[in-house]
Amino acid sequence: MKFMKKLTALSVACLMGLTLTGCGGNGSTDDTITVYSRDASSGTREAFEKANDMEEMLLDGAVTVDSNGDMATKVGQDANGFGYVSLSTDFEANNIKALNYEGVTPSEETVLDGSYGMQRPFMFVTRADGDFADDRTQALVEAFIDYMCNSTEGQQVVADAGGIVDLSKTTPWEELKVNHPIVDEDNSDLTIRTAGSTSVESTLQAALEAFQAEAGQFQFTMNQSGSGDGYTRVLGDEKDGANAADIGFASRNFEDEEDVSQGLLSGQYCIDAVVAVVSADNDAVDNLTAAQIKSIYTGETTNWSQLQ
Amino acid sequence: MKIKTGNQNKRRFYDGILQALTYLSSGISVLVLVALFVFIFSRGWSSINMDLLTNNYWSENYNVEPVSEVADTTFERPADLSEEAYFSEKWGVAFVDHVNAHKEEMILVEYIDENSPLYAMSDVSIRSNPQDFTMQVGMQVSRLSYTNEQGDTQLAGIGGQTAQDVAQALDQATSVNSMFIQTTGGGIRGSIISTFYLLLVSLVIAIPVGVASAIYLNEYARKSKFNMMLRSGIETLTGVPSIVFGLMGVTVLFPVTQLFGATTTSILLGGLTMSIILLPTIIRSTEEALLVVPQHLRDASLSVGANQSQTIFKIVLPCAVPGILTGVLLGIGRVIGESAALIYTMGTFINDSPTLLSQGTSLAVQIWSIMSGEQPNYELACAISIIILFFVLILNFAVKIISKRFSKAWY
Repeated sequence: MKFMKKLTALSVACLMGLTLTGCGGNGSTDDTITVYSRDASSGTREAFEKANDMEEMLLDGAVTVDSNGDMATKVGQDANGFGYVSLSTDFEANNIKALNYEGVTPSEETVLDGSYGMQRPFMFVTRADGDFADDRTQALVEAFIDYMCNSTEGQQVVADAGGIVDLSKTTPWEELKVNHPIVDEDNSDLTIRTAGSTSVESTLQAALEAFQAEAGQFQFTMNQSGSGDGYTRVLGDEKDGANAADIGFASRNFEDEEDVSQGLLSGQYCIDAVVAVVSADNDAVDNLTAAQIKSIYTGETTNWSQLQ
Repeated sequence: MKIKTGNQNKRRFYDGILQALTYLSSGISVLVLVALFVFIFSRGWSSINMDLLTNNYWSENYNVEPVSEVADTTFERPADLSEEAYFSEKWGVAFVDHVNAHKEEMILVEYIDENSPLYAMSDVSIRSNPQDFTMQVGMQVSRLSYTNEQGDTQLAGIGGQTAQDVAQALDQATSVNSMFIQTTGGGIRGSIISTFYLLLVSLVIAIPVGVASAIYLNEYARKSKFNMMLRSGIETLTGVPSIVFGLMGVTVLFPVTQLFGATTTSILLGGLTMSIILLPTIIRSTEEALLVVPQHLRDASLSVGANQSQTIFKIVLPCAVPGILTGVLLGIGRVIGESAALIYTMGTFINDSPTLLSQGTSLAVQIWSIMSGEQPNYELACAISIIILFFVLILNFAVKIISKRFSKAWY
């Protein structure tokens, strides 16, 4: 009995010691790749994994960072670091180098013409015609979608918030607003409810806030919880439930079973692109293929020299 | 009999180890607590100020147009204006670059002359009903549309432009067409109000129901199989994860709130769900409090002619007040700290003007909300944590004082 107690005490002490040493050992000096990754809830990570067909395949030794900015800083400081950020990141300021993907340089042009592969569309769908709270809400939602997708001002705020848009195809809001007489009224009693992807949050919030000032101070509520809810809460099972919304968003194309044709309006309002990055001091690599990214990300390739 | 020295040494050795273990364990828990406080306070303390408590989370957005033309006079740069501010002599306004709590870069008004055409403007956000608008220091300029000397309409303040760009653009402008002005948001006023609403609803329902059922179980109920099952059922409820209650709330209780006119998840729904989560805690602690009321008090009351309900409500219950309040305090802590069940039942939209039937976030859910985005904000989250800690501390003291005042127990 006493011996048992002694044993327990000893093993507890051993365990604590082990944990401490386990946390300490994390040094690498050669050209061993350190993979940095975002936490599992990140939309950027989702896009990065999906583009290279490697969902849930991250190697165990990867370092998790909390945000886009954190990722850029940490990879910039680690000569052997490998990570991924959104295209809107300031590469030079963080001492990181954007890698070509399948030979294509990431830029707004290559994303817009579709040649750069690691990208995803930000899609939206509204409720069905006549299924809104009232006719004024429907008119306001139509006006908002027009503002966000087609007006110079709307696309500009989306671009400022990090979305990639083609500003050459836009029309000044002054010309578009004549189609939407609702925007000149006092709309402070109306509410636009949005649901769906969390990745669209910053671009959507910027667009809603800008439109609020253009369209009679309407109210809005954003309940972004994930791309799957975008369709369900607008046209699917939950469209009359507690979490119903007027506009649903997805940071991917709508799937076949999500029949968005029932919606009054649906489409794409901007593109998001993910870029694989290494430290600017890393001369070993300038271009990666999807297969190479996958092998680094899953831990098959552990050294930069293995890539040549 | 002589004590063997060897035995004694062995004893001492074991005692020493056990003692050291207890010291070590309590040391670790103290260390963890201190680390937690140091972390929260070092990250969040700098973000705490009155603006955080009183500001709205969302910025107010205005589309404003000038009412007067620009005059030929030039304005003088005020002597006390900081070096980082960029001043437009033609319009009498200075801008400065700023990074807000969410790490977004923005351009703020640093100085505005009262004679400037940009001072008294017209808010045309509601085109059919324009309002007077006064430009104030600290407002954010998100877009400025102006006409330059060639007669072209230009935009400034967008696409990563700095305060300097805007000031220079203004100096070349012959007229300003419109400005998109935002107030700086980022405050937690709405969440504080929501938290109070939530507390109110959940406690108003949970306390009477909980106390009454505890009285039934402890005073009226006979020792039967059914009552035993009832009691163990209530105890099991304590262990059910709150997210399960959240799911139940959104499916079972939502129709109930619809009767009151709710169309979405709401604070009322959150409160109803929380009151169910609180019930076991309150029943349990009330029962404990009733149990320690001495039996001879009941006997004495009955023997002078009071009936059972008089005895319970006039003698036993007042004596049990401190115990009940402890349960209430635990309940308040649970409500303030809950997030999983509330995400389902109250939504994650941070509401600046919450009502019982609208969505809103409690302080804990606001932390979840600002941490779950693409750019988590540790500083703001820690600042809210500090406020929650203070909140709990104050409630703790308040409940202690109240229970001392109202307690009739002398034993």
